[in-house]
Amino acid sequence: MTRTLAFTREQLRAPFALALLIAVPALFVAAAAGVLADFARALGGGLAGDAAASLGAGWAAAFIAGSLGFFQAASSRGADRRLALAGAGPGRVAASRILASLALAVVAAAAGFIALQLRADIVHPWHAAAAVLAFALIYLSVGVVIGSVVDGALEGSLAVAFVFLLDVFSGPGMAESPAPYSVSRKAADVLIASGLGEASPGADWLKLGAAVTIALAAALAVFAYSARSRL
Amino acid sequence: MTEVAVDTVLSVEGVTKAFGHGPPWHRRSVEVLRGATLQVNPGELVGLVGENGSGKSVLMKIVVGLLARDGGTVQRPERLGYCPQQPLLWDKLTVAEHFELFAEAYDLDGAAAAASRDGLIEELQFVKYLDYRVEDLSGGTRQKLNLALALLHDPQLLLLDEPYSGFDWETYLRFWEMAEERRSRGMGILVVSHLLAERERLTRVYELRDGRCEVA
Repeated sequence: MTRTLAFTREQLRAPFALALLIAVPALFVAAAAGVLADFARALGGGLAGDAAASLGAGWAAAFIAGSLGFFQAASSRGADRRLALAGAGPGRVAASRILASLALAVVAAAAGFIALQLRADIVHPWHAAAAVLAFALIYLSVGVVIGSVVDGALEGSLAVAFVFLLDVFSGPGMAESPAPYSVSRKAADVLIASGLGEASPGADWLKLGAAVTIALAAALAVFAYSARSRL
Repeated sequence: MTEVAVDTVLSVEGVTKAFGHGPPWHRRSVEVLRGATLQVNPGELVGLVGENGSGKSVLMKIVVGLLARDGGTVQRPERLGYCPQQPLLWDKLTVAEHFELFAEAYDLDGAAAAASRDGLIEELQFVKYLDYRVEDLSGGTRQKLNLALALLHDPQLLLLDEPYSGFDWETYLRFWEMAEERRSRGMGILVVSHLLAERERLTRVYELRDGRCEVA
């Protein structure tokens, strides 16, 4: 508990990062929905109207959560490993770091969702909120995984951007036939459906839950593995 | 890792380590350690010197568990203190919060942790910085915190990697007094440096050359 609270305080003491966490999703949703729809049409996708605004909220929350997840894991790596080796253990340090970072994902998702609510008429707002949060959690995990294994800030942030771009441009709404490897596929399906005023089937929710769980578990495992003792 | 015999707190035997460089189709291996062997007994203050790039910090990281070794054995106690060359701290956390985190990691109870912390900040004279964030500390004060965290749980073996870089003269002298006081209480201490000016204070000095330790 001491550890998780300390790591959370550490994040709250970076006011510029917190401001970006709120500003980026909000501005992206407010400004980019029309451009996204044009872009999707050019790529052969059918994204338009409130569905474009909804998906934009998810992507914005995802990108900022992924970037911050990466920098949280990478910038504190040395100190976190020292603490793990001092007796805290890699698993517990990993859990505390990820729990503390969840606050970032929640803030990014809330900013994106509130902007979406202000801009579009969403029939199933709780569905949209859950899907935006899922986007943020999945990308937070992607950021933590990359931050646990990639040393350089430049290489790591490029890796996060690469995963994001690949995911976005091959995912539902953008591509004519979405790629099966798209990490946020189910989150995008649910979010687009909510933007179109449709409820998602139970199977989609189960798959979305599984995707979020697998992403967080992978982040925990990779972080803990990278912080283990090599003795 | 294995617990060491009663009369030895650190035993490093024939440790080897190589690093690979270059792309997979043109991989080159650089051997940094080629059978490094050294020993530290309780109550000994041992030095490890060597040129820049000789592998001193690599050997230290292997003993701590930050790096995997390719061969050889390392035996060390469970209660170990490690003061890395570059302070590994969280910029946004305060000095007091660092002590809290490490006290929990070392499994110290509240009273023992507070007594140890108060003694160390008094000894190293940085009481007034307790509520400062690390990002607001000078390099020397960061180094004091770095050292204090390694000593918080009164370890059986203390590993110091260039511990006094950034210290002013007064703190440098106090550092050696602290090291000698702890040695007299039975702590085994290994000090790594590229330059050891205080050889008369040391029980033994190893020189790391060509990947091997020789008694200098």
